[in-house]
Amino acid sequence: MLLNVVTLSIAALAALAGPALAQPKPSLTVYTYSSFAGKYGPGKPVEERFEAVCGCDLVWVTAEDTGTLLGRLRLEGETTRADVVLGLDMNLAAEARATGLFAAHGQPQPQGGYALPVAWTDDLFIPFDWGHYAFVYDETRVKTPPASLKELVENPKGPTVVIQDPRTSAPGLGLLLWMRQVYGERAGEAWAQLKPRIVTVTKGWSEAYGLFLKGEADMVLSYATSPAYHIGAEGKRNYRAAAFAEGHYLHVELAGMTRTAKQPDLARRFLAFVLSDAFQAIIPETNWMVPVTVPAGGLPASFADLIRPEKTLIDTPEEIRRNRRALTDAWLNATAR
Amino acid sequence: MARLSSAAPERAGRRLPRPAPGAVVAAGIAALLAGGFAALFSAAGEGSALKELGPYLARVLGFSLAQAAVSTVLSLALGAALALALARRRFPGRSLVLSALGAAAAMPAIVVVFALVAVYGRGGFLQEALRALGFEPDFRIFGWPGILLAHTLLNAPFVARAYLDALAEVPAEHWRLAETLGLDARQTARHIDWPVLRAEFAPLASLVFLLCFTSFAIVLNLGGGGGRATLEVAIYEALKTDLDFARAAWLGLVQVALCTTVALTLHRILERPPAALTARLAVPRPDAGHPWLRAFDVGVLALAGLLVLPPLAAVLAGLPHLPRLLDADLAVALATSLVLAVVSALAACLMAVALAESARRPGASAIYGLIPATVLAVPPFALTAGLFLLVRRFADPALAGLVLLPLMNALAALPFAYRFVAPAMTTTAERYGRLASLLGLRGWTRLVLVDGPALRRPLAAAFTLAMALSFGDFGIVALFGGSELRTLPYLLYERLGAYRLDEAGGIALLLVALSLALAYASARLTHARR
Amino acid sequence: MLAVDDCRLAYPDFEARYTLHVPQGALCAVVGPSGGGKTTLLHMIAGFERPQGGTLRFAGQDLAGLRPSERPLAMIFQDHNLFPHLTARQNVALGVRPTLRLQEAEWSRVAEALRAVDMAALSERLPGDMSGGQRQRVALARALVTAKPLLLLDEPFGALDPGLRQDMIGWVDRLRRERGMTVLLTIHTPDDVAGVADRVAFVADGQVLAEGPAAAVLEPGRDRRIAAFLGRGAGAA
Repeated sequence: MLLNVVTLSIAALAALAGPALAQPKPSLTVYTYSSFAGKYGPGKPVEERFEAVCGCDLVWVTAEDTGTLLGRLRLEGETTRADVVLGLDMNLAAEARATGLFAAHGQPQPQGGYALPVAWTDDLFIPFDWGHYAFVYDETRVKTPPASLKELVENPKGPTVVIQDPRTSAPGLGLLLWMRQVYGERAGEAWAQLKPRIVTVTKGWSEAYGLFLKGEADMVLSYATSPAYHIGAEGKRNYRAAAFAEGHYLHVELAGMTRTAKQPDLARRFLAFVLSDAFQAIIPETNWMVPVTVPAGGLPASFADLIRPEKTLIDTPEEIRRNRRALTDAWLNATAR
Repeated sequence: MARLSSAAPERAGRRLPRPAPGAVVAAGIAALLAGGFAALFSAAGEGSALKELGPYLARVLGFSLAQAAVSTVLSLALGAALALALARRRFPGRSLVLSALGAAAAMPAIVVVFALVAVYGRGGFLQEALRALGFEPDFRIFGWPGILLAHTLLNAPFVARAYLDALAEVPAEHWRLAETLGLDARQTARHIDWPVLRAEFAPLASLVFLLCFTSFAIVLNLGGGGGRATLEVAIYEALKTDLDFARAAWLGLVQVALCTTVALTLHRILERPPAALTARLAVPRPDAGHPWLRAFDVGVLALAGLLVLPPLAAVLAGLPHLPRLLDADLAVALATSLVLAVVSALAACLMAVALAESARRPGASAIYGLIPATVLAVPPFALTAGLFLLVRRFADPALAGLVLLPLMNALAALPFAYRFVAPAMTTTAERYGRLASLLGLRGWTRLVLVDGPALRRPLAAAFTLAMALSFGDFGIVALFGGSELRTLPYLLYERLGAYRLDEAGGIALLLVALSLALAYASARLTHARR
Repeated sequence: MLAVDDCRLAYPDFEARYTLHVPQGALCAVVGPSGGGKTTLLHMIAGFERPQGGTLRFAGQDLAGLRPSERPLAMIFQDHNLFPHLTARQNVALGVRPTLRLQEAEWSRVAEALRAVDMAALSERLPGDMSGGQRQRVALARALVTAKPLLLLDEPFGALDPGLRQDMIGWVDRLRRERGMTVLLTIHTPDDVAGVADRVAFVADGQVLAEGPAAAVLEPGRDRRIAAFLGRGAGAA
């Protein structure tokens, strides 16, 4: 009986997934996070543009977010169907490398180099978009935002914030590293100072940003590019990112091809496509991040008024991997009470 | 699952004694757990970071236990009071209230978080209203209030439904006896209500405790700080960020051990007395007229209404955004969710019937009755990951997700399905057990002829609740969802991740409306409505 | 005298209209086909059902406005007469005072009632650990301690085997003679009460078709329904 049920369910669900398997064209499987391939993400136009030139079928396979993406990849190991993985967090690049699943991408630097605030060379991963982490606020509620991370942390009457858990989300880990860059060994004390104004620590970016939009906190940890969404998609100009004097921690999203790729040539072609204008021009107003090469037409108008941090903070993936556990524990110690 | 359950009953032939279906299901579940954990350990590879676990564990556990204990006490107290109030009162819209309770019990965690914030948060109805009245409220829902509110909102309605069903099974003679003896409200409570509440206390309390102890999204999002986390968070972190499978497995085992201990302790302290059940006749409760009780019931119903209705109403805010949602994505997600929910609910009900069938054999009740509770203690993320590691050797990873998703949802719904099915099957055994064995009725025949009629309602209730739970699930879909498996909650997160809070609200409304419809169907199918 | 005069009950699928007179101290067996309204008659006398007309009196007292607990009667059902979580002694004590806070003298009355039904040795047992006959005797003991003059029994011994049934009816008969109680008893097999019942009431189709001494009522010639009932009863016996 149970056997029948399971068989039926497989049949039923496989029917939903079926058509993709029946194509005669070679297919390229790209793993990414859900909002990238979702209705409003870059997924659909990227698929159309790449399929127009590759004579192949691009299949998206999604996991909830960047962390889950890596977790799924690790679970699948060498049996993974992924040819390309799109959307890894730079801060977890060392973990991704340690899975041993990625192959050299073989892509040359784009002409004129990456439009990144830092130099980039890596044999396994290419960056495809980036943004600075920043605290976003509603200027109708917060008239004078803090001008530095120190001001945010140390002013007991400062704005309340909603942040993400470094154990479960990329921005959460980003803030942990940011605090460490600014405060060094005193990061624990800084966390303790900020703690009374942390409204809550959420599982992921989505929950935090949702709570901020619902008015639960004055500021939310997000990206410096977040206001562009409100300008470009909603025509609202009241959401702004606060520019901090110490500089902003960098978030870079990476792509790489797997060692086990069934379509290695297609995978390499896709990675080249990722760095091309066709792909990069889609990114700003769908993924709401900054592309790694400046599109031919320049950045869209919604990006014109964004803050441009002069100083960029960053750690190497290996450092992060070494210190993450200790940093997380220190963070827990400082904020648990 | 297929491998484990198919061979035994069908092909064992006539010579060998057939293993009981319950034993097969129990063995299947045990094998799944063992296989999953073993796979995690064997895949762990190089040294796992177990050393630093001590202080971290102590901190997480202390908070987890405390919040789960308080949540359980609140949920049981309110649930019991609510069940009694609903048993005593008949009023227009009562069946709607029951449906609302059912819907609240099956709300997805993320929807609960946003609904509570919309009501009690800084920008919520309540504080906005107070501000409009000239007050300066400075109430923060994050922390203990949020966690307790959310857990009570999810669990008190379920407790109320379960207690209401149990109260409806009191023999009509006892009510007549109460009338001829002139039992007053207090003595009615003592001699009729309390024994029922007590008998159901252990299973309900352990179920609620486990749910709260393993609660993830609610505790983390509403907790207000990093220390407010459960073991599940640590397991999730180990699997997702650290990729430390051995640690995930160890933490999972710690959780199973702890939860099983709590469940066993509760069951040992409070042994379930034999049921005294007859066909229920509609006998009005003689204590309904007691003025104090009337005031109490009105108070309890008002309190429950205040707890349940505003968050449900808050979900209605998604209504204007529904039209924008209607596209192929939504249709596919809805269909996927439906198929998944039906398959999961079917599997959950079959497992529950098999286990309950074996649980009524002499001496077996404790073991089989404990299995559903234990399953709830198993961290779904760790188990899924382990099983995935196992399955991927034999099957395409995408196919593995298709099998694991309904299976895990079925396991998650099993404890609830079991709670509906087991009492009914125990009752038929007490009533007709001797007759059945006299007539030589066994196995399938007995199930159809003897249990069938009594099982129809509880099974329907179990099925609808299991469906509703499966609809709202966003545990494993996070990992194995994707283009092939996009359920409604998955779509909700996808939109949330693309800044589309409004559309996420619309999907939340759909989810709640669906579970409301299922709860309404369920309420019509159980004794509770009488 | 228990006097039921033209008491009417109406249900969607059933209508009843009872007239019945039972002398003080008599044991009246209510017999008739299943579904004929025997239990409904008892429930109405006990106060679980409210008649829509007619009068209901016992020893001159009008029962109509009284709640079940205020009526001068005790009732025993076929099953579920005892609360499963209370011992025999406690179940009987409920008949004295539902709070179970009894004085010394009252506890002696409970003990005496249990002795009267030969259950003194098992007074600390839970109902789950008793036989069906023992449970019914405890219920009988409770009826005794309530000291109500009218005792209603609804198929009280239907679940017992014939020998035990005779014993139990013997108990009931002895106790009602000792205490002068009026007893109304529904029963499936009229033969069981042949020796002890002063009166028999035949109920079918929601009416008391005949009432009087057993020999006069259980006469096939009186009514075809009685004839049919007796015919079936004889076949079964």
